[in-house]
Amino acid sequence: MTEYLIRRLLQSLLVLFLITVVTFALIHAAPGGPMQIFLAPGLSQEAAKIQAHNMGLDQPLPIQYLRWLGGLLRGDLGYTFKNHLPVGEILWPTVWNTMVLMGTAWFLSLLVAIPWGIYNSTREYGFSDQLASILSYLGFAMPTFWFGIILQEFFALKLNLLPLSDMWTMGREGEIGDLILHLILPVTVLTLGFLAAYVKYSRSSMLEVLQQDYIRTARAKGLRERRVIFRHALRNALIPIITIIGLDLPYLVAGAALTESVFNWPGMGRLFVDMAVAREYSVLMAITLITAVIVIIGNLLADILYVLVDPRVQLGRKGGQSA
Amino acid sequence: MSDVQLRENPDVQQRVGRAPKKTHIPPAEKRPPGLWAAAWKKFMRNPFAVVGLIVLLCFIFAALFAKWITPFDPNRIDMLNANLPPGSGEHLLGTDELGRDIFARLLYSSQVSLLVGFGVALVSVVIGTLIGAVSGYFGGWVDACCMRLVDVMNSIPLLFLNILILAIFGSEFIYMILILAFTSWMGVARLVRGTFLQLREMQYVEAARAIGVSDWGIITRHLIRNATAPIIVNATLMVGTAILSESALSYLGLGVQAPQTSWGLMLSNAQEFMLIDPLQALYPGLCILIVVLAVNFIGDGVRDALDPRKKMTIPPRRLAKWRSAYSKSKI
Repeated sequence: MTEYLIRRLLQSLLVLFLITVVTFALIHAAPGGPMQIFLAPGLSQEAAKIQAHNMGLDQPLPIQYLRWLGGLLRGDLGYTFKNHLPVGEILWPTVWNTMVLMGTAWFLSLLVAIPWGIYNSTREYGFSDQLASILSYLGFAMPTFWFGIILQEFFALKLNLLPLSDMWTMGREGEIGDLILHLILPVTVLTLGFLAAYVKYSRSSMLEVLQQDYIRTARAKGLRERRVIFRHALRNALIPIITIIGLDLPYLVAGAALTESVFNWPGMGRLFVDMAVAREYSVLMAITLITAVIVIIGNLLADILYVLVDPRVQLGRKGGQSA
Repeated sequence: MSDVQLRENPDVQQRVGRAPKKTHIPPAEKRPPGLWAAAWKKFMRNPFAVVGLIVLLCFIFAALFAKWITPFDPNRIDMLNANLPPGSGEHLLGTDELGRDIFARLLYSSQVSLLVGFGVALVSVVIGTLIGAVSGYFGGWVDACCMRLVDVMNSIPLLFLNILILAIFGSEFIYMILILAFTSWMGVARLVRGTFLQLREMQYVEAARAIGVSDWGIITRHLIRNATAPIIVNATLMVGTAILSESALSYLGLGVQAPQTSWGLMLSNAQEFMLIDPLQALYPGLCILIVVLAVNFIGDGVRDALDPRKKMTIPPRRLAKWRSAYSKSKI
């Protein structure tokens, strides 16, 4: 187990290192490079050169890369090109805002999806099951941002019940009631997206387990159905669900980019879009890295949980199931 | 060499020197349908898939003949007729804030979306199959390299990756297809690699190698053919994903640019003017929803049709009803 974990950790570090190389290379492969941003009309050649020198952009690429990496290791994410603000200062508040939004939506959707999926697995093709199936088809095919816009039009503009966008009302920053009002619409949009997937997963994973012999044995023993479902089936059905949830973490972060843009939520996803339009490469690199770290941690966690929940899985040993 | 063959061949009969016996030869049984014919038949019996196919064909038709369906130019600005409600005069769905015909814009947008959808699916399947095939067939360090590449690509959320690359390289139309394809081949690569890892141990591959078939020959002639079914299913579903990605990127202002229209672009426009004309946001979103639903239904239909283990999908309750209605056996 420890050996496997160490190997996975090293592998993750390698992937992380490759990601820094790839993003760095991508940004410097841009036509004109990051320099392009200074070439505003009215800026003379010399001025641009001086600025480039100040930012260290006239150094050879490998040296620039090492500098950037060194700064990263010290927790310094660099500065924006335009206003020369430290990237960290812009970034960290948005990370927190995204976590508030995504965490709420994710938690709610799990709270609904897993029980619903279990219920549907016991009543296959029943009304509730059909409903969930329609919902998941819609959830996979519907552009989330469109759903957001429709909700805005209906609940904010027509009925005037909920705030249209943003995280706080002007002058009411920090009030929890205000935050909740602002959360309702974006959380609804996000929850629907998660629900579509999670209900389907938990249902199919339960169905698979319910067909096993030991479930029949448990029933034959005369156990009550509730005990069979929750005690015998659910425990094993949770394993694939946990894996999928761990693998879904990237969408937790990135799926927000659209919803955050629709609702003008000051989160990391929206920041990424804004900075992409403004071509602020240092911010883009920082966000890409942060999401990559989250994804890799998510995958690792999924693996570890996998072992904790299922003692049959013996990672890294020959003959055992390797993830 | 069965008896029947000997009897049917007059040459053999003469050599044997035996008069043909007048025996009853049963007529040759009808050839069982091939894999694809059977799959097609199964596909056509799935109502959802058929509806999806019809809807998709309608959209393709509309995209191809947009010029003849609507007399309006999607980009002609006509400030005198701005913000007309649906059904006013010749404008079927009204006009937007610049007086452009919404129906015409929807039609021309479908060209963009469908082109992106199919283009991305095609290109990414080619890339994915190539990388997956090489990785799965050769294994070893080639495999390790390819899989680390897949890991790297998968560690950055797809939307972010798309935004990043689009922001760097600009969003010309052909670029957009290539970029979207470049960021969505990983699924196919994994799938093909997995299939190849299984198949390359098969005896027929060993036999092919023994008679001197080259690596390339084995890959194209023996392995890819056996991986076709999952690749096709994956490609179909990818069309839907690509359409969704395109609309999302265009909505964010990073995809299709102004003179061209796209459903995503129309939506971002509609959001700006939703106080004036709330209906405008409805149509493009519905179009995306319907097309992607249709494509997903087709994908599911193809998957079920190509899966030999899967018989017709009949809900158990309906099956029980049929049984009680038509079956004579009392179970």
